[in-house]
Amino acid sequence: MATIAPVSNAVSVRPGLLEGLRRSLAIATKRNRRFWFSLSLLTLLIAFSLFGPYVFDKTDPKRLIGGLYDSPSAEAWLGTDNFGRDVFTQLMFGTRTSLTIGVIAGLIAILIGVVIGTTAGYHGGRIEESLMAFTNIVITIPSIVILILLSIALTTRSVVTMGLIIGVTSWPWTARAVRAQTSSLRTREHVDIARISGAGAASLILREILPYMLSYIVMAFVLQLSSGILQEAALAMLGLGPSNAISLGIMLHWALLWESVRTGAWWAFIPPTVLLTLIAFSLLLLQSSADEIFNPRLRRK
Amino acid sequence: MNKRVLQIFSFIMVLALALTGCAAPAAPATGGEAAAPAEEAAPGDLPRNETLYVGGLQWGPFITFNPVAPQITWPNGETMLIYEALFGYNVATGEIDPLLAESFTMVDETTMEITLHEGTTWQDGEPLTTEDVIFTFELGKTNTDLDISTFWDYVTEMTAVDERTLQIKLNPERLNVGQVKHFLTRTSPVIPKHIWEERATGDTPISQFVEENPIGSGPYQVLDYSTERVALQRFDDYWGKDLFGLPAPKYIVHPIFDSNDTGNLAFQQGRVDLSQQFAPQIWQMWEDQGLPVGTWFKEPPYHLPGNIPMLHINIHKPGLDNVLVRKALAYSINYAQIAETAMSRYSDPAQPSLIIPSGGEGALFNAEQVAELGWEYNPEEAVRILEEDLGATKGSDGIYVLPDGTRLGPWKVLACYGWTDWMTAVELVAQNAQEIGIDITTEFPEAPVATARRNAGDFDMIIWTHTGASPASPWARFRDALDIRGVPPMGEVAFWNWNRFEHPDVPALLDQVAASSDLEEQKALYSELDKIYLENIPTIPLMYRPLEFYEFNESVWTGFANADNPVAPPQQNYGGIRGYFVIQPK
Repeated sequence: MATIAPVSNAVSVRPGLLEGLRRSLAIATKRNRRFWFSLSLLTLLIAFSLFGPYVFDKTDPKRLIGGLYDSPSAEAWLGTDNFGRDVFTQLMFGTRTSLTIGVIAGLIAILIGVVIGTTAGYHGGRIEESLMAFTNIVITIPSIVILILLSIALTTRSVVTMGLIIGVTSWPWTARAVRAQTSSLRTREHVDIARISGAGAASLILREILPYMLSYIVMAFVLQLSSGILQEAALAMLGLGPSNAISLGIMLHWALLWESVRTGAWWAFIPPTVLLTLIAFSLLLLQSSADEIFNPRLRRK
Repeated sequence: MNKRVLQIFSFIMVLALALTGCAAPAAPATGGEAAAPAEEAAPGDLPRNETLYVGGLQWGPFITFNPVAPQITWPNGETMLIYEALFGYNVATGEIDPLLAESFTMVDETTMEITLHEGTTWQDGEPLTTEDVIFTFELGKTNTDLDISTFWDYVTEMTAVDERTLQIKLNPERLNVGQVKHFLTRTSPVIPKHIWEERATGDTPISQFVEENPIGSGPYQVLDYSTERVALQRFDDYWGKDLFGLPAPKYIVHPIFDSNDTGNLAFQQGRVDLSQQFAPQIWQMWEDQGLPVGTWFKEPPYHLPGNIPMLHINIHKPGLDNVLVRKALAYSINYAQIAETAMSRYSDPAQPSLIIPSGGEGALFNAEQVAELGWEYNPEEAVRILEEDLGATKGSDGIYVLPDGTRLGPWKVLACYGWTDWMTAVELVAQNAQEIGIDITTEFPEAPVATARRNAGDFDMIIWTHTGASPASPWARFRDALDIRGVPPMGEVAFWNWNRFEHPDVPALLDQVAASSDLEEQKALYSELDKIYLENIPTIPLMYRPLEFYEFNESVWTGFANADNPVAPPQQNYGGIRGYFVIQPK
């Protein structure tokens, strides 16, 4: 859970990028129902977390509306938590926090991974060796241990900090995969042509290599996002979640502390579990179906 | 969805369930039938109908049975099962019940006379006499690391009139009968001189001695112990069998659980008969599940209050040093919600006083003064104090700033990790404070870290109790909260008054009330002290907690004492020893 699986080799080598995207989407529309299903599910979840509070008029997740684990009722559709707060409202805000942390973690991980991966892959030689050695060292350290130590060291953890610390511990797989892609792309003819025309390394990477990996990076991001959300849940369940916030992991943390399983308060632990599952499911499905769209080899099957 | 989708979905579902730890929800308890499950009959195990299983008093592996060690394995010096004290404190009556001693009388204002029961004997057959009692207490003279050493602050001399009679000369400078009674009941049980005399003179401090085969005077002896349990066997030659009878359980076993919820589950399933654990929503066990489970009271608060968990405020930090800020904070806290959720209805809403309004201290509680000078949950009043009395203005971040520029926060409130009732209470405090514009967040360090920070005064706010109900309460609680005497400065280890509150009138009032034996005079003096407390707000009472949670499951044993049948107090320790004598196998 702490790491992501490398994405299959999905490099679109088509020169006309927009054309490729258009054709990919056309194929997706026709053939790939899984893609649309996962995209709709994800959109629904995001809408639930962003607009739900206004749609259902439940905008204060910390409002106390009942006692300890009140059963579901007309006012509290999914009962109350151990503080006497509405579980349904918490779910919307919790999903929002979890997604936010996932997005931040995903962006950070992708940023670091792409910078290290392309630099190593493009330059090769000593630079590549040292960067990859560093990456491999980071991979061998269990990221959950680093996460726990970092979280303990910070007594106040904001949502952004949580995203940051998850992001900086989960980039190595992306870096490795991106390096592999870059090494193969840099020998392509159009790269050589650009190089002969006098383009610098940064410009080459940005203009001639990155665009050809874009679909790949997007998919890696989706995976990082999903793993970031699950890592946040794991940390929060250990009591190391963001301070003064509500996330799905924090909801589960309190549900476990208050023995909701033993006392039969299913509404305290099943809804956040289901939501976490749906988020991770929709993201993984999105990634695997998008892979089929963007990857010509898989597409033909 | 095709097969691959289903595979992915089920993979994530399993992952998520594993994450939440709820992959295998516990099987519902089945009450009586579940009382003697096969797993209890492990090799060398004990017949269920002769064995009482207790819980909640031992966590972690064996350390020592030495009753004067700082950390003692169950049954430690407090249960009276192996070692007995002179008297047993009864939390239900506030009295001290006879145990080794038959009676105590005040010969004059500074002389206390104690008579031992006839025939008191050690488990090895040696007679237990006043010599053993004096030996035990005098250990405190030479071993300053023992709790009992402070006994000699209040007592000048302890002499044997004869084998059965003791005289205690109280220190006229620090006359405090309540505190002395506290020592006679709780702090240390009597230990045999003929065994411990040699150990007391050795090179190793007596508190460090690792005792594995304790010889006491009580009705039980150690049968075995392991990382999973401590088991006791009844001592049938107990000296008190003609006086008190013999307890019905031939064996008493304390399983060692790894967490609160495993202990509670074992209790719910009838694998533990008597439990001292915080078990949320215990009423569900009889109301919804029909289990033969009970507590002291059948209705809320279910337990007898014996402690006041309080918010200790660092009164030396900028902002928090302002009593009006503390008052605003006191008005912002929703005490009823804390009692309802954090304490799972096991508390009435906390009143602003150092006195527990019910039970033994109830007679001293000055309700009029509390209503006049105290506080209650009223966020509007909190905002009024901040804006009108203090002239604070709200910053763009929603947090108030005092006219001198001090921002109200960020402050941390500490609670020990895993102490769920306290964690929830401070979470609610932080939330309430944020709502009115004081920036408080929570921090949950492990208990040893929290304790060290508490002692050193290294906190903004921390939840902890003062001394609970005892023969010395509420005196000891007032001392803990208000008395600066004997408290080292911030940064050093303090045993009470962790926020180093100081007031010129407190020492004299405390000494006066300690020496007083007249209830009306005591009430007046305690009211004076409570007034100082209410005007200065060094701490804020958050809820009440029982001295011990007292929960019994009558699947195997019946006849447990309760409020309708108060044949023993609701506790396993101290005077609760009588509870083991009144139960019967079903």
